Amino acid sequence: MADSNATPAVKPTKNIDLKYQPGFSQIAWLCIVVLYAPIAVLVLFSFNENRSVTVWTQFSLDWYVKAINNDGIRHAAWVSLEVAFIAMVLSTIMATMAALVTTRTPNYRGMNLAVAVINQPLMVPEVVTAVATLIFFAIIKQLTGVSGIGYLIAAHTAFCIPFAYMPIRARLEDMDLSLEQAAADLYAPPFTVFRRVTLPLMLPGVMAGAMLAFIVSLDDVIITLFVAGPGETTLPLYILGQIRRGVTPEVNAVSTVFLGISVILVTFIFLFGKSKK
Amino acid sequence: MKNRILTMLTAMSLTLMTGNAFAAGELHIYNWGNYTNPEMIEKFEKMHGVKVTIDGYDSNETMLAKVEQGGSGYDIVVPGDYMIAIMVEKGLLERVEPNKMSNFKNVDPKWVDVYWDEGRNYTIPYQWGTTNFTVDATVYKGDVNTLALLFDPPDELKGRINMLKDMNDVINAGLRYLDYPRCNANKAQLKELNQMLVKAKVHWRTMDYSVIEKLTSKDVDLSQSWNGAAKRARKDRPELVYSYPKEGFTGWMDNVAVLKGAPNLENAKLFMNFMMTPEAAALTSNFANYANGIVGSEAMMNADLVSAPEIVMPASAPAPEFVPPCPQEVTDLYAKIWTNLNK
Repeated sequence: MADSNATPAVKPTKNIDLKYQPGFSQIAWLCIVVLYAPIAVLVLFSFNENRSVTVWTQFSLDWYVKAINNDGIRHAAWVSLEVAFIAMVLSTIMATMAALVTTRTPNYRGMNLAVAVINQPLMVPEVVTAVATLIFFAIIKQLTGVSGIGYLIAAHTAFCIPFAYMPIRARLEDMDLSLEQAAADLYAPPFTVFRRVTLPLMLPGVMAGAMLAFIVSLDDVIITLFVAGPGETTLPLYILGQIRRGVTPEVNAVSTVFLGISVILVTFIFLFGKSKK
Repeated sequence: MKNRILTMLTAMSLTLMTGNAFAAGELHIYNWGNYTNPEMIEKFEKMHGVKVTIDGYDSNETMLAKVEQGGSGYDIVVPGDYMIAIMVEKGLLERVEPNKMSNFKNVDPKWVDVYWDEGRNYTIPYQWGTTNFTVDATVYKGDVNTLALLFDPPDELKGRINMLKDMNDVINAGLRYLDYPRCNANKAQLKELNQMLVKAKVHWRTMDYSVIEKLTSKDVDLSQSWNGAAKRARKDRPELVYSYPKEGFTGWMDNVAVLKGAPNLENAKLFMNFMMTPEAAALTSNFANYANGIVGSEAMMNADLVSAPEIVMPASAPAPEFVPPCPQEVTDLYAKIWTNLNK
């Protein structure tokens, strides 16, 4: 956007563009290295031939084969994907509804309170939510005798909502109301306005929100640790359980696969967002 | 879209319900991560037609936090010695009386009257070992069986030492070196211990759980270590020697226990009895690399395990000491020393 200003220096207000501040590229590179070097090392050692995660010997795909053949890892990966997917769908639906109600209705009493409640999982320390959920679910389980993965999905959905909510809300706030008003002026009923105008316009926000919810659910350790029941070990929990007995490059291999999946997802969302514009 | 949401919801409620639907033939084990031999589980599943799930925890405390609330859904847990004492006191374990089960005759008599479960009314041995240290014999050529190598190291080991990031393991080793009693509330003695540890820490390179990586990457030449990790490290670095210090050392034992209110109590008892067969114990040892306390299992254990000095203690070594949980007052004092040491 500021590119055209930056070329010939005419006015004294030139070069406010951050990219042309001294030290910009050095700091940017430093950030990139700090963020990505550990991941690069992790990926590199997933191809290591010996069992060490620090000493390189020879290229091999052994750890991938081992990981694929490891029932524990396979099961954990499946649980992770299952929980993340269902939590993503549920939390995105709820976040979309919440975002519509907090941006497309006239300001009502208690709206700010509602926003605060929606964002509560972001404010409260995770471990507090985790312990509270553990105790709460334990009571429900003892009262009803019902167990299963539903509890884990419910917990994940709850803390994913604010992550899905924020990009959707931001998108709705950016959108020009006049389009929706014009549609309404032309006698489109509210649902048609939503379906034909609002939803297509907000879709990039919804996709970004869903994506974020998926990743946050996939990543979670603390709440999952407390809530997960028998047979519900997710991949992060599986990795955590290895620590005392030594992490092997098997874990690197699985992490690399997951990394690949997220890169593909992010690329997809990015391209999708572009084509909509 | 609507249909898909419906499918999702149905799928969700279905998964919610299956939790209890097939409970008759299930067993839910909550064990340390990467500590259960899948082959052994398969054998048990085939033998009794039971479907087993295994989940892993990273510490006794994580496990306790989760099962303490009740309704965790687990049947079997495998806590360490002191944790058994705590859980029995809190009433979290079912008194299943393994001492009356048919395979109890296989349990080594040495492990029957233990402080955490006198006479074995609640638990059976799973794996046991020692916490010592292992050292590269080409770097340090002297006698390795002394704690002086940790707390007053010779020049060649200075700055080449890794200690476990474990309060009790470090402090108990320190107390033994100073020849003071365990669970010590004597302030003068603890002060001396504190000074000694702070002085020794200058020579420690790291305090870290990842013993095998530290040793095999040659980041350090000596590391405090569980015996099983020491043996695994020796596979990649044959110069390593496991020390049995003359001042004494800590033993630990993980034990199979049944949770109070276990949803599959009968299967849990079957599993416990199964775990006392030499075959099951040997399979566990072959996977986890520790000794198991079941007589007759050696015959089926991997040869490298039976012949490993880390697993089979030499006759000259002192008996391992099992340290019971200390009173709160002592733990608080220890925590102060530990915090200060980690600064």
